[in-house]
Amino acid sequence: MLSRVAANLYWLSRYIERSDGVLRMLKINYASSQDALNEFSWRPVIKIYSDIEEEQLQKMEFNSRAVLEYMVMDKKNPFSILNMITMARENARSVQDHITKDLWQCLNEYYLVIKDPSLAKSLQKDDPVSVLDILIKQIMLYYGTAEVTMERGEGRSFMNIGKYLERSIQSVDVLHVKFGSVDNNPDLLTDTTYWKHLLLSLGGYDLYLKTYRQGIEAENILEQVVLNNDFPRSVIYSVNNIFRYFSKLKNDNQIEDRDLSFSIGKLQSRIKYSSAKSIDQERLTFINSVKHELYHIGNALNDQYFAYS
Amino acid sequence: MIAETVGFLEKYPSDLGTWDEMFGFDQNIRPSYQNVIKYLLNETSDDLNKKEELAKRLFISQGITFTVYDSGEGIEKIFPFDIIPRIITSDEWKFIEAGIKQRLKALNLFLKDVYSNMFILKDGVIPIDIIYSCPHFIREMHSLKVPGDIYTHIAGIDLIRDFDGTFYVLEDNLRTPSGVSYMLENREITKRLFPDLLPQCKVRSVTEYPNILYKNLKALSPRQISNPTVVLLSPGMFNSAYFEHTTLARLMGVELVEGRDLIVDNHKVYMKTTKGLQQVDVIYRRVDDEFLDPLVFNPTSVLGVAGLMAAYRKGNVAIVNAVGNGVADDKAVYSYVPKMIKYYLNEEPLLKNVPTYQLGNHDERKYVFENINTMVIKRTNGSGGYGMLMGFASTEKEIEEYKLEILKDPRQFIAQPTISLSAAPCYLNGKLSPRRIDLRPFALYGSDGIEIVPGGLTRVALKEGSLVVNSSQGGGSKDTWVLA
Repeated sequence: MLSRVAANLYWLSRYIERSDGVLRMLKINYASSQDALNEFSWRPVIKIYSDIEEEQLQKMEFNSRAVLEYMVMDKKNPFSILNMITMARENARSVQDHITKDLWQCLNEYYLVIKDPSLAKSLQKDDPVSVLDILIKQIMLYYGTAEVTMERGEGRSFMNIGKYLERSIQSVDVLHVKFGSVDNNPDLLTDTTYWKHLLLSLGGYDLYLKTYRQGIEAENILEQVVLNNDFPRSVIYSVNNIFRYFSKLKNDNQIEDRDLSFSIGKLQSRIKYSSAKSIDQERLTFINSVKHELYHIGNALNDQYFAYS
Repeated sequence: MIAETVGFLEKYPSDLGTWDEMFGFDQNIRPSYQNVIKYLLNETSDDLNKKEELAKRLFISQGITFTVYDSGEGIEKIFPFDIIPRIITSDEWKFIEAGIKQRLKALNLFLKDVYSNMFILKDGVIPIDIIYSCPHFIREMHSLKVPGDIYTHIAGIDLIRDFDGTFYVLEDNLRTPSGVSYMLENREITKRLFPDLLPQCKVRSVTEYPNILYKNLKALSPRQISNPTVVLLSPGMFNSAYFEHTTLARLMGVELVEGRDLIVDNHKVYMKTTKGLQQVDVIYRRVDDEFLDPLVFNPTSVLGVAGLMAAYRKGNVAIVNAVGNGVADDKAVYSYVPKMIKYYLNEEPLLKNVPTYQLGNHDERKYVFENINTMVIKRTNGSGGYGMLMGFASTEKEIEEYKLEILKDPRQFIAQPTISLSAAPCYLNGKLSPRRIDLRPFALYGSDGIEIVPGGLTRVALKEGSLVVNSSQGGGSKDTWVLA
């Protein structure tokens, strides 16, 4: 497979996974904003998912519609859903001969849906959750189409590596922001809503309730979000999948290893052989080192498989 | 069946001065169109409007679009499509097929000759200065041996019909003719619009095109291996024909590459893959000659590959179409094609040429200037309908300015008498109206000879009275049926 094609498939997949994360996050936070007694701040969400200037952030921090506009439709925000879907489609367009026609049409239609001016209007005037639902559904459609139609070959392996790398980075980012704030404000540690919110944003609240009966605790949250093999947004779940698809690439396609399995295996072991207790003791140090390793894997992929000349 | 009796055929203004593909001169519907008209009579104009909508939606959702950039905003446009098919009878097709095969054979022999012994020039059949002054005469091609002596692997010959239905060749496109994806997609759309109609009318299929093309490309591989690497070289996503490049690459199952994916090492071409470099054997390029190799042609181009021409000359890679074909489809050389056919094949040309005046020739120029109102003047290396002068539709001032332009470099211009172009019914604003059309069949020249998929691209001038079918000038397209 051409390096350029592999890179495009990988990025296509990262953009979609990121859009999915952002949309779900927005939906949960919007619901919370409707529940809030005090003014609801969007600061942590915007911080995680964009590189906004402080000044602009202060202006919209408490205004849900403005934040939704910025995060979903703003052309000037490179991380808006509109821009990410456009990028995903552009990537897909240049590799149309490597994805199925169904998948291309699915992305093309997504692009047409999000470019429809009536959707932007709805986001401002009507129930924003309906709009977010439409956009989330398109992503479900994408994943379903990819799952059913894509050949189990090299292209799909690169796409899945992109997907799980992006997903693990997001989960780590969420932990980072949430536990980062705890350092400055220890009261948050016992704030049930604060943690409930974290779990909801990752779609893990129900699972948490089923697993842990004694209320919400930091250690348990770390266990679920980092170590639970059955939680599809846990870090270990994603890292296992990165490992799996990279091994598949190596075996099926005889692509050279160039130390990448070493990095992935090292990270996998680092997580697997940590206990919830030990992670809870280190917290940010652990989170930061995992994040660093994930970035390293991303860069190594780029240097070794995608880079030109 | 008489026109007056039917619904949306009412007021179909047939002009006796042009050949109408649907109506005979006696105002009867030609037999080839009767099945379609019967089918249409069962539909209301509401139904047809819905079909028109469906066609648009299918094009948009499949991304059969080109992007127009307007104030930083990409807008998706579709190439206008008329839902009423253009129909060619089997007799007409037999004639077209034979005519194109003959013409293409001669053009291919001409290319071989002009890049080797130049017998046709030495024998004085074609004036030498016409060849040497052609910007597409590529000296680097001299004595370069191409596989099987085939230069014109893919040709799109543009045909038009005069008022009496005679076919004329308007242009030979031998460089990188485009439009074949529309031939394929228009047919797919028609299948959705008119269920069961195609088999009822016994329309011949066009789906073999990519298979034949792939078979021909594969056979060109310089390495005698079972699975040579064939690639389609595209200028990239911003090219207006990009959709066509992706379609063909997918239908043939070959890699779609850009210049930056390729590298030449030791006179061999490689593509950069995740597994390292992989040798490329055949390049179907959709990049023009002058951008192919910055070491030989335009040094600022990044669309091609440095060193490609050297690898080509060594015979390590096949390039399709061959480099330098522009000398054979140049509009000044065009007028000599009938002579080529006689010279190389000793046959009378089947397809007629439109009479052409060389403005480089003093007497002919004088004649053209005197009769400029009945002439169409074109640049010899122009395309897309740009830079043309239609004498009958231009003002005094435009004509005078154009004359000055011509006098600067007369070799770059030719003139042809205005040919009226045949008309076909189009569904416009709720009724059928005649619009002018042309036809571009696609011929594939392989080691087994020339094959032409029964069909082609019918372009249509959607503006009333217009004779220009180019998409850049408000043209659209139709599905093209060849009856069995």
